[in-house]
Amino acid sequence: MDDTTKLKLKLALGLAGAGTLLLALLAVLQDFPEPRLWALFAAALVFFEWNSVEVNDRLLVSPSVMVTLTAAVVFGPGSATLGVAAMAALGLLTPADLRGRRWFQPLANFGQFVITATVSVFVLELFLPTEVTIDNLWQVALGTAVAASIHSLVQFTIVSWVVHAVYQRREVRPWTQMGSNHASYLAMGFLGGLLGATYLLVGAVTLPLIFTAYFVGHLAFAAYGELREAQEATLRGFVKALEAKDLYTRGHTERVAHFAELIGEQLRYNPAQLQRLRWAALIHDVGKLAVPRELIRKKARLTDEEYAQMQRHVHVVEDILAEVEFLHPMVHIASGHHAHFDGSGYAGGTHSRGDAPTQEMSVLSVADAFDAMTSTRSYRVALSQEYAFTELRRHAGSQFDPRAVEALIAALERTGERYGSTELASEAEARRIAETMEGYRIYG
Amino acid sequence: MAEQPLRRVSLLVVAGLGATGAALSTHVMEQWWVLVLLTAAMAAGHLLRVPAPNGEDLYFGVAVAASVPLLVGDVFAVGVVYAFGTLASWLVLDLRGVSRRQLRVFLLADSAALGAYALVFFTTDWAFRYGDVTGQWTELTSVAAGALAWFLVGAVLHALVSYEERRQGLRYMWLLAIADWPVVLSLFATGALFAFAWPVIRWWAFPVALMPYGFSHVAFVRSAGTRVTYGQTIRALARIPEVAGLAPTGHSSRTAELAVAVGQDLGLSPSEVVELEYAALMHDIGRITLNEPAILKAGYTDEDIARWGSQIVAEAPYLSRVADHVRTQHRPYRHPGEETDHELALAAKIIKVASAYDQAVAEAGLAPLEALETLHRGAAYDFDPRVVRSLRRVTTPRVPAAG
Repeated sequence: MDDTTKLKLKLALGLAGAGTLLLALLAVLQDFPEPRLWALFAAALVFFEWNSVEVNDRLLVSPSVMVTLTAAVVFGPGSATLGVAAMAALGLLTPADLRGRRWFQPLANFGQFVITATVSVFVLELFLPTEVTIDNLWQVALGTAVAASIHSLVQFTIVSWVVHAVYQRREVRPWTQMGSNHASYLAMGFLGGLLGATYLLVGAVTLPLIFTAYFVGHLAFAAYGELREAQEATLRGFVKALEAKDLYTRGHTERVAHFAELIGEQLRYNPAQLQRLRWAALIHDVGKLAVPRELIRKKARLTDEEYAQMQRHVHVVEDILAEVEFLHPMVHIASGHHAHFDGSGYAGGTHSRGDAPTQEMSVLSVADAFDAMTSTRSYRVALSQEYAFTELRRHAGSQFDPRAVEALIAALERTGERYGSTELASEAEARRIAETMEGYRIYG
Repeated sequence: MAEQPLRRVSLLVVAGLGATGAALSTHVMEQWWVLVLLTAAMAAGHLLRVPAPNGEDLYFGVAVAASVPLLVGDVFAVGVVYAFGTLASWLVLDLRGVSRRQLRVFLLADSAALGAYALVFFTTDWAFRYGDVTGQWTELTSVAAGALAWFLVGAVLHALVSYEERRQGLRYMWLLAIADWPVVLSLFATGALFAFAWPVIRWWAFPVALMPYGFSHVAFVRSAGTRVTYGQTIRALARIPEVAGLAPTGHSSRTAELAVAVGQDLGLSPSEVVELEYAALMHDIGRITLNEPAILKAGYTDEDIARWGSQIVAEAPYLSRVADHVRTQHRPYRHPGEETDHELALAAKIIKVASAYDQAVAEAGLAPLEALETLHRGAAYDFDPRVVRSLRRVTTPRVPAAG
């Protein structure tokens, strides 16, 4: 058993033990809610836990917190915490865990769910009146909003602590995302409380209507998420398949997208910016697909006529993609990625010459240059990562944005990924390298 | 032919609604301002457009209308609100600049659907009362039965109006009309939730009913937007071989247009038609490979183009069926001495026919009838006669009826 497994075992058993202890304690202190009602809410919770949908780029929100808090209000003080903690315990097994025969996630999740539910509903119980009336409705809604907020904080703290302990490789990014995440938790908590109070005041007839509302919203977000994923997968697949026809640029786009994303994460871009950057990277070379291969493969410098011909092809494709309103900002970034940081150098279609590039263009430019240097092209072999770092730093401030350069270097050192040849470029290669940088400026 | 009767019928509907509203209003026992408020709310609800998966728009006014019979139990009052509410909504939609066609569809289909809702709601309600069953659950059952009637009547009429306009693909129209069920479900649930909550919790009923709907609404709007940009992205990618000078300009988009018309005519489902459209748009994408001088020199066949194209499309995980269509679209529909090739999807046969027709018209310069004639001659093996007949239907303008 290696160290990581030992650590995981310790963490999982600790969390699961704490969860079991809490449940036992609650069972002594509180009464169990009406079993049929409990089963109904528990079934709904399990359904939503098993089918969480992506609302925003990488922001997973499931209405489970809403179901939890509706249930807490319905169960009422004296049994809410026990009822909800017992419901939460059911969330421990997910289809993914079952398929992967994982033991760590279910155990850790069990503990995490029970602790989170207990803490948040315990606070909620302080707000809950013994009998809900129209006059103290606001108190219930306020209580559930506070509880949702505590729920999200506790959950996040535990998850980031566990992730950090087990997978030291990466820090958990979401602190930056917590803002928007938190707002939606507050809204869902508020609504969850209101719906619970509605059930108590109006009657059981509201229950199917509330579940219908949850369910349709869930369906709609799932459909939206799938569609968005399909769109990105389609573009990704196309670019990959098209460039696979060319041995030397195979994988280039995927890698540039990866580097651009690393830089963006390091510079703390928000999810929307990251998505834009990823898409821009995916299409940054699409224009070249329309360029006759003999021009791309040509080892000698292009004549002015050939260069103009190539640019024409590239621009026509960019113009077509820019017609898609959604892609317009991405095409703008992609077409400006040749611009130099100080405003000199070539700039494509929608970006006019002489303007300093936007930061997103600079990020893409660095990612593209790094991959150009560390991969083998028709005119030279791959250079080493160290050489690429030195070269990027040397041109930082003139061709490249120094912040983007440092961000890439820091990100790669953090993740430990390595690209390019293992050896430093030798003196004999240096001459070829000069040619390379020249070539890079032309072809990108 | 379709224009005139539809216009006449819609005029009749307007007059009928006005007359019904006026006649019923003499029997109403409800406070008059309640009716004015509900009518105004129904009309105002038509300011909020709800994009449905099938591309036909729905309006939030449906949710308001759904709550009316629960809020006012008086049959006559509901009739008055529905009659005047529909007229007011019609005016609101007209002011919003909705197309004449949609206005007419609204008058014909939506007013009838609302009538069906009220009818079934009160019939069910009456049946329960007759059986001495009362309570919230019976009211909920009445709403559910009424909502089902609203949905079915609306879908049938929507399909019939589209059929009346285009005379094609009744099955397609019907499937398209029922594809918006999640939106309808959400609107009726919202209306009913409000109506149940209002008498007890008063103003709190607004956040209770509107907040869950708001979440769904955001998703509906985003889905609709993404569906549009997804199609646009594929259209843009499909044009790359053309701008590279490797495929004739406009051929794939014209082929896609024809293929969609034929697919609808032959009764494919809406999702199959979307796949057919994507496959037709990309049926020549394999030509991007001709960018490679070595391949040009070595020579290639239609089958190669189809195979290269399908390899490209197959990289997109959600388009595997589209990739199949692209791979098989060059195949003849049957081989000499054999029955029809059953493995060949209808979509692939449609693309083959549509592409050949467009080539004959746009490149060989044949007149549409001559082009159809050549396809008929190829019908023995290459082109499925059923598809060619359908193509003739969709390319020949309908003969105007006398009068």
